[in-house]
Amino acid sequence: MPAEEFRAKALAWLKENARPFSGDDGDYNPTLQESKDFQKKLAEAGLAGITWPKEYGGQGLGEDELIAFNEAAADFLLPVGPFVIGLGMPAPTILELGTEEQKKRHIPKMLTGEEVWCQLFSEPNGGSDVASLQTTATRTESGNWLINGQKVWTSGAQFSDFGAILARTDPTVPRHAGITMFIVDMHHPGVTVRPLVVATGDAPFNEVYFDDVEVPADAVIGEVNAGWPAAVVMLRNERVTIGAKGRSRSAPLGFDALAELAKEIGTNEDSGVRRKLATVYAREMAMAHFGKVLHEGALAGKEIGARGSAAKLAGAEFGLWASDAAEEIVGQDVALLTGKAAKVAKSILAGPGSATAGGSNEIQRNIVAERVLGLPKDPGAADRKTPFNQLKLSK
Amino acid sequence: MTLIDNSDQQALAETIQKLIADRSPLSKVREVALSDDPYDADVWRRISDLGVPGLAIPEEFGGAGGTWADLLVALRELGTGLVPSPLFASSVLAAGALLASDDAEAKSQWLPKIAEGAAIGALAISETGDATWGSRPSSVTANDGKLSGTKVAVLNGAQADVLVVQASDGLYLVEAGAAGVTVTTEESLDLTRSIATVVLDGAEGRKLAGDADAILDRVTDLANVALAAEQSGAITSCINITTEYANIRYSFGLPIGAYQGVKHKLADAYTEWSLVDASVRSASQALTTESDETPVAAAAARVLSSPAYVRAAKNMMLLHGGIGFTWEHDAHLFYRNAVTGNVLLGGPLFQQDRLADKLGV
Ligand SMILES: Cc1cc2nc3c(=O)[nH]c(=O)nc-3n(C[C@H](O)[C@H](O)[C@H](O)COP(=O)(O)OP(=O)(O)OC[C@H]3O[C@@H](n4cnc5c(N)ncnc54)[C@H](O)[C@@H]3O)c2cc1C
Repeated sequence: MPAEEFRAKALAWLKENARPFSGDDGDYNPTLQESKDFQKKLAEAGLAGITWPKEYGGQGLGEDELIAFNEAAADFLLPVGPFVIGLGMPAPTILELGTEEQKKRHIPKMLTGEEVWCQLFSEPNGGSDVASLQTTATRTESGNWLINGQKVWTSGAQFSDFGAILARTDPTVPRHAGITMFIVDMHHPGVTVRPLVVATGDAPFNEVYFDDVEVPADAVIGEVNAGWPAAVVMLRNERVTIGAKGRSRSAPLGFDALAELAKEIGTNEDSGVRRKLATVYAREMAMAHFGKVLHEGALAGKEIGARGSAAKLAGAEFGLWASDAAEEIVGQDVALLTGKAAKVAKSILAGPGSATAGGSNEIQRNIVAERVLGLPKDPGAADRKTPFNQLKLSK
Repeated sequence: MTLIDNSDQQALAETIQKLIADRSPLSKVREVALSDDPYDADVWRRISDLGVPGLAIPEEFGGAGGTWADLLVALRELGTGLVPSPLFASSVLAAGALLASDDAEAKSQWLPKIAEGAAIGALAISETGDATWGSRPSSVTANDGKLSGTKVAVLNGAQADVLVVQASDGLYLVEAGAAGVTVTTEESLDLTRSIATVVLDGAEGRKLAGDADAILDRVTDLANVALAAEQSGAITSCINITTEYANIRYSFGLPIGAYQGVKHKLADAYTEWSLVDASVRSASQALTTESDETPVAAAAARVLSSPAYVRAAKNMMLLHGGIGFTWEHDAHLFYRNAVTGNVLLGGPLFQQDRLADKLGV
């Protein structure tokens, strides 16, 4: 089906089933069940897993159709938050590295929202340096694995059914060589999830404790002790998911929402405000176009690779910069967590979190500088050869 | 959407890269910049032989009948090498104005020569103390087709065979050498651009048929995308040259590029360039498909590209340390070009205003 036909189909479905952006949707807080119901209908309409293989519940279409859908969806508020991580990171990693069994078992259910997933990488003693993780998985006599340790800042763990977890399976080799990625059942009795309240007052992420959590041998994603390359695949997908997003009319820190707000408040005639709005537009559009350049390049066989980090960085910097712009555009209303500016105020508060999630800006800069531009490795990477159990770690 | 990368365009880009490497490396650019010549006549002839000045001119007027995107590819490549040439003034500004006019006679008289590179056109809009550009009030008066007044910052004005002059009641064609026309080349900050002041004192002009405001609006779009394309190319050079240096210059036992104070600035420049490049592509697409989005996309590209280039060029100087501030180093050539591009053809605030207007905010 040509992309334009697909776009028309998607648009017709969205008009029927989704809530259009109105600039007046502060009261829109879908429940998990509403989200699941929506995702199920979306999948049934053939609008989920657009580029994924049909045998695992996808649509088997191309990037053009995906872009067409994303563009059509930009004008709607889709309650798909709980699935962003699962579909954006573990699912593509399983599609790339997982066994046939794993793909058949999980991908279709992820697409229909029946299975919610989380990503269990970060630990209290290391987020940027993921490979310094201390959670262990030890093999039992029956060939299963016992997971012990603690993860932290895990988005959505409170309602997740499964997680992709990184655990150390060999501490005697250098840190990148002794890690394995597993599928873990979040309903296992040894898993304890404790919500963490964040700067915005919400509790979107958690600390997660693993106490003798037994997983079977076939829960390994990829190979034993090859969890680092698997993690790299997932982090690459993560950056593409987070960065290079299309322009969304409903984003509170985006041009449309800010322009509408400025008009309502009456600051829109001010030349400084107009200029700021123009720049918000230029940057926001450029990000969307950058996403397209990457996707279309991928379509033509040009790997996105580390340029995904540039997209992630651009997105994070846009959020932080647009926060400053919004303060100028909206003015004093941002000080009040009530009324029409409330969403802007909340987004300003959430900006630093989005910039940190998925790897800090400093880490993305390192990746761009080293892997895109070819600059020398950070001196901090010097301990790649030291066995893990002899390394200096965070206190 | 990545229109400016089809296989013909890639081939064109490679041809120009080769031309730059063989005939116009930065050492040569510097020689020309320091001479009295506005550009290297041999290089301009070769650019013309490739048909570049006529890429976006229809075949009926002697051009290649290609798209604006084709010309943008050429400008981007020439931008990487800061190659001095009248291409921008002649093929974008002057030819753009002629093409947007309804003046069949002017088109058939001038476009074929411009397409060949045999004649050079220039556009005279700016006036002293005015940071705006394009369609705007002009102090140049016209009495019975005799023009009087002063235009400044006229790109390649001194080399032009024909000037398109904005006067209070429309656009006029003024031929070089006409009585009452005095063109003076100014000493310009940018050593790779030739900039002139044009004084008209009862000079003979022929009014260009068509709606002057609409023509100038179109030219402003063209100028914005074209300059953004040129600047996108120049930014890549700032990044590449600095990255190369960061790999070979050692300090405290390591290449300076290993230090985050250096590598992070380059990563930021690369990320900014990615956004500039993407917006140039989308504007080029809009232009080529004659989309209604063109004015917005063109203004957005320019709003991003000019300040990004200034930052990249400034950091190029800073990250080269003392050497970067020497006359011998090329960094100041880029910095000069970047600052000039940021203030000419409508400064940064004018561009933001224009984008806001086009967006309807
Ligand atoms: C909203 C949110 C959601 C998240 N969701 C998840 C999730 O679902 N799953 C998950 O596993 N994790 C998640 N995270 C964790 C996130 O990946 C980490 O917080 C992040 O990678 C940073 O790690 P850290 O917090 O340990 O900070 P640190 O690594 O301690 O970094 C602290 C500071 O030091 C800087 N720094 C560290 N190393 C370097 C270096 N080499 N060079 C320069 N500067 C450096 C950092 O940039 C940062 O500014 C989430 C975080 C947030 C904020």
